[in-house]
Amino acid sequence: MRGRVSRKTIFGFIGPAVIGLAVVGIAPLLYALWTSLHFFNLTKLRQVEFIGLKNYLTVLTDEVFWQAMGRTFLLLGTALPLQLAFGLIIALVLHQPGLTLLKTLTRLSLVLPMATTYAVVGLLGQVMFNQKFGVVNQLLGGADINWIGDPDNAFLMIIFWDVWQWTPFVALVLLAGLSMVPGEIEEAARLETSSRWTVLRHVQLPFLLPGLVAVLILRTADTLKLFDMVFTLTRGGPGSSTEFISLLIQRVGFRAFDQGLASAQAVILLIITIILAQIYIRVFYKEVN
Amino acid sequence: MKLKSLFASTAIAAMLATGALADSHGWSLKKAAEPYAGTTVDVVFLLRPGYEAIEAMLPAFEEETGIKINIIKHPYENALGEQVRDFVAGGDLDIALIDLVWIGNFAENEWILPLADVQAKFPDAVDPDLDIDDFFPLVLNAFGGWNDTIYGLPFDNYSGLLFYNRCMLEEAGLDGPPKTWADLKDVYGPALTKDGKYAFALQSKRNETQSADSFARMLWPFGGSFLNAEFKSNLLSEESQAGLKFRQDLMQYMPDGIVAYDHAETVNGFAQGDVAMITEWSAFYSTVVSPETSTVADCVEIAPEPMGPAGRKPALGGFSLAVASQADEAEQAAAYLFIQWATSKANAREYLERGGVPARQSVYQEDGLEEFKFVPALVESWQDGVPEFRPRFAEWPEITEIVQEWGTKIMLGEVTTEGGAEEIGTRMEAVLEAAGYYSGDKPLAQ
Repeated sequence: MRGRVSRKTIFGFIGPAVIGLAVVGIAPLLYALWTSLHFFNLTKLRQVEFIGLKNYLTVLTDEVFWQAMGRTFLLLGTALPLQLAFGLIIALVLHQPGLTLLKTLTRLSLVLPMATTYAVVGLLGQVMFNQKFGVVNQLLGGADINWIGDPDNAFLMIIFWDVWQWTPFVALVLLAGLSMVPGEIEEAARLETSSRWTVLRHVQLPFLLPGLVAVLILRTADTLKLFDMVFTLTRGGPGSSTEFISLLIQRVGFRAFDQGLASAQAVILLIITIILAQIYIRVFYKEVN
Repeated sequence: MKLKSLFASTAIAAMLATGALADSHGWSLKKAAEPYAGTTVDVVFLLRPGYEAIEAMLPAFEEETGIKINIIKHPYENALGEQVRDFVAGGDLDIALIDLVWIGNFAENEWILPLADVQAKFPDAVDPDLDIDDFFPLVLNAFGGWNDTIYGLPFDNYSGLLFYNRCMLEEAGLDGPPKTWADLKDVYGPALTKDGKYAFALQSKRNETQSADSFARMLWPFGGSFLNAEFKSNLLSEESQAGLKFRQDLMQYMPDGIVAYDHAETVNGFAQGDVAMITEWSAFYSTVVSPETSTVADCVEIAPEPMGPAGRKPALGGFSLAVASQADEAEQAAAYLFIQWATSKANAREYLERGGVPARQSVYQEDGLEEFKFVPALVESWQDGVPEFRPRFAEWPEITEIVQEWGTKIMLGEVTTEGGAEEIGTRMEAVLEAAGYYSGDKPLAQ
């Protein structure tokens, strides 16, 4: 039939991507699944054996795992709303007419935090939040706040850096959403009401929702796997105060070398991430539709 | 003058190392290395003074032997993981760099070869002047030995020492360093903690520093230990608890956030004059006496660690080098030649002068060591050390994680010393049970 694309052509175009994805994504995942069903300690490879779901049982009943998970969700629950709030404010300001050059410069500067390597952010944090000579305490009038060595302050510091680094991302996504609002509708709405909240809620928000869902999914996944910045900044300490789930998995897998248990933790984390992503899509996308 | 003496000793060491004198035995490094010229040996080094010292000496070895030493540098925290992955994957490493707590792990996995096997395999490579009895016995057995077999030769050698700022002590009217931990807390602590300065800093970051430098350091002098004779937890014993409670009491004389202090922060605090005393590894001596890195270089004095009710029991740590079993024959022979050269009597003086700490007894009997103030304390400490300061069995990587977590929680006051010790004990025993120590599958060796 004329116009029909042959299977070979389809495979030719899609095949390489599928094979690439299988090699770099699915194969390691399958290997992690296999490992999670075994006693698999790198320093005891002679004792590798199939143990069924024992690793999963250990993870699910391990209070350290759930404490780390709780900490991770506490970070998500505090940092993400702040990022959304600040991001929305920045997006709305940049959406105002006029000051084109200034807005362009602002947009460009918003990319900088995102472009900074996580590990560098952590190292910056070590210097800036140093109790004795850090710039943060200097800006606070020579305060003597122990940021890195105090469990609560260390957690606040992680929230600060996460918000600093990822608010611009939220702002840019929401700004893109705002630019999708048809100008005449927005203008008409502004003639109808002087309430900015009403315009935002009934005119702009529906256009922001797809971006918001993307932000929620990406930031949730990013927070659940947040590692580099925390590792270089606090290494999970002091104590366990900043030991988020990804740091725990790294500790179990690469410092205690229990790859089986770490794989089970990672698989459970993956399941939680997928469930959350599904919830976001179902709850918010309904409204968009 | 200093430079002159360095050149002179370098020349002598070079003569010895290149075999000019060893030729009298009919053996020379050059001749022994001939079959292996062009071989590349891969080894992991740490970012510490002892490694910089040997790296600076390396051109002489490479020129003499034609063997290329490929150094892969890692911070301490990454060194074990990198090596384990390399050995598991059958990678490129030809030499294992072994912290004393890794030796059981490496030996039981047969990643390293017993020294005697290597020497039997390559008899022509063995230097007649090796003189293995010249190593401090404690150091050789603890760093390089496992289950009565020597695998590695001590290379980067530490003992815990008391570094103190003589000027600060004199200003406070204190005559000399504290002899006991009790004095340090009750006399020196109140006298030296004032005006933003602290009497003492005990590095306690949640990594091996927490287990080795903080937790274990307070167990042994008070008569405590990780395990009793039956390999059950001894952390709830009166002695262990006394040590852990002492650590809590001592924290009032330490900087805030001491649980975030690693070696770098502690040494820096001392070197900047913020802390009057620290108990640190001998390897950091060169950092605190160098005017480039220390504002108190002229005030630094060294003493053995204070004594507790059970005696001195200073911290013991350090690294040996062993030939990796995964290397091919030429690499094994070349690796052995390098290890033998790097730890030799002939090179010990130059190694010391360049910032390393050799484990050769003979070098500390030489004249002209006055500038190395740590030597008397180090030699004394290596008489009193405890080989199992941290258990050296294969399960230590798992157990140290437990100690790090709960040891830090104890310091932060999140659990009591009894509660933390109970948690560590329960989890530690579970690891040991799974490993087969209680069923008799494994000997109770640590």
